[in-house]
Amino acid sequence: MPLYGSLDITQSPARLPTLPNLDTESWALPKAEMMQLLIEVPRSSTDGLLPKAMHPALPSYVILAVTKYPDSPVGPFTLAVLRLGSRAGAHPRGFLLGAVASTDAAAKELRTRWGFPVESGEVKFLRRHDRVMGTVKKAGKTILDCALVDPQPVSGTDVQYINWVTAANAPLDGATQPMLIQVDPKYTFFKSERGKPLVNEFDATAWNASGLKLAEPIVGTCCTVDTDLPRIRFVMDPLKPVYLGTRRIRESRVDE
Amino acid sequence: MKFGLFYEISIPRPWTRETERTVYNNCLEQVKLADELGFDHVWAVEHHFLEEYSHCSAPELFLTACAVLTKRIRVGHGIVVCVPEFNHPIKIAERTATLDLLSGGRLEVGTGRSATWTELGGFGANPDTTKKSWDEFVRCLPKMWMQETFSYQGEFWSMPERTILPKPYQKPHPPMWVAVTSPGTEIDAAERGLGSLGLSFAGFGEQEKKIKDYRRRIQSCEPVGAFVNEQVATTNFLFCHEDEKYGVEMGKKLGNTFNYLATQLISTREVYSSPSYQSLGLLPALRRAATGPEASEQQTEGMAYGDPARIIRAVKKWEELGVDCINFILNANEVVPQDQVMASLKLFAKEVMPVFAKKPANIKAAE
Repeated sequence: MPLYGSLDITQSPARLPTLPNLDTESWALPKAEMMQLLIEVPRSSTDGLLPKAMHPALPSYVILAVTKYPDSPVGPFTLAVLRLGSRAGAHPRGFLLGAVASTDAAAKELRTRWGFPVESGEVKFLRRHDRVMGTVKKAGKTILDCALVDPQPVSGTDVQYINWVTAANAPLDGATQPMLIQVDPKYTFFKSERGKPLVNEFDATAWNASGLKLAEPIVGTCCTVDTDLPRIRFVMDPLKPVYLGTRRIRESRVDE
Repeated sequence: MKFGLFYEISIPRPWTRETERTVYNNCLEQVKLADELGFDHVWAVEHHFLEEYSHCSAPELFLTACAVLTKRIRVGHGIVVCVPEFNHPIKIAERTATLDLLSGGRLEVGTGRSATWTELGGFGANPDTTKKSWDEFVRCLPKMWMQETFSYQGEFWSMPERTILPKPYQKPHPPMWVAVTSPGTEIDAAERGLGSLGLSFAGFGEQEKKIKDYRRRIQSCEPVGAFVNEQVATTNFLFCHEDEKYGVEMGKKLGNTFNYLATQLISTREVYSSPSYQSLGLLPALRRAATGPEASEQQTEGMAYGDPARIIRAVKKWEELGVDCINFILNANEVVPQDQVMASLKLFAKEVMPVFAKKPANIKAAE
């Protein structure tokens, strides 16, 4: 049967974000500009990055995304994330390895409301006539310098974003414990472009992905979307196969 | 109603040199029995890099072995990937003609374009152009088979005048099909006068609509070959057992395993934003059905597992919907022991097949 990840997140719970509860309200995030680069990575370089409950995608790939949120409950911010393409049961998911937000307030709220492993840093989303660029600095050091080169218009219906899974501690059944949390934003597309991914600089260790090597670029997109961060609906046991260890903690939204 | 076998050739880990050989040998033993029992077709996919799910990357070789071991059953490519990075069209024409000769005119040629990034990316193919290259290939193949000499200038490939050899045994050429998974591909098949080789496990409602649309459109088709191959085939799982409960249980295990094996593969749409892959295709459909390898939930309706009476009811429903041929997946990751696969085939042939009288293939000469 399909391969499984090897990461046991219960062995190092202190390294995970901790949520005071699983009851966060949703955030509306209108007119976000979202650059997403998909890049294949050698399978061997993902060893130890994916939780035991999940399956790797074949071939292995990562999603580098830099998103400018002009309007949010904590004001404008820009967020850069690294996710590992994977599977929760049968479903494609991006497992969140690391994230950097451009404001302290955004980093704190994303960490404690949804369990994203976010730190604050300098995150820039820049648009030029022939490319969209994203740069991330932490403590003065560049940890990501990437671009979507030669963007060409495509239809929003051509673009598929997969849901997120993050590892965090959260209270459940009377105890705060490590778990996997699914975050499944919705997207309404206003503008979509496709181009070539280009990564000039990438510090894997700074993204909690020590050993990860970028290989073949797949494709990049940049879209303007109305999106959200919804209430948490599903949590998963980090050690059991997801099809056995998923718990619904809240009913689906009315639009599903 | 015609019945066939459909091979993905899924092979469980750990892969020793014996596991792959054993599974291939099991498949050949099944095909030999199916030939003796009166099954009509054996189809083999072309897939690459799809770990466990399908180790059938050289179907022309497997089908040649099938042809040599059998006397009557037809052998089918289900499908040949018509993308230049995978297969050069000259080689497709040559290989299929050779297989048609070796099988004594028993070849069916399914065509398609691949649906996974796992495969397209592996060959460095451009997902944006696979539909176009498929269209070029299927228009060229009949000419390459039939014309004494052939030359071509196209968008995806070209060649100066040469004689492509050998020529197929069947005249004017073998029947052609197209893999139908994504909604709308049945129309592509119909417009070109090709058979509809259904590879999805959709329920009755969705299949009925596809079949009606296909039948309607093919009436005014412009066939790419010398004749119209108006046939609708669908794919199913088969496990036939005297005990209904056991038959259903094992059939579900087979189906769940097959569906769950699709989990790790990357559908093109998941990673590569392209107008050429807007619909979800087969993998997401399998994933929707794959709640787990041992799930107990009811699978898609119309599955051919259980006791003979239950299977007869399912097949009759497919027949009522207008399906001409059902192709069966017999195993996935060897979860069904080989002796039980063989017993299932025998029981199906004894109790189910006689209920369904064969009707001649609906093949019309092109005007």
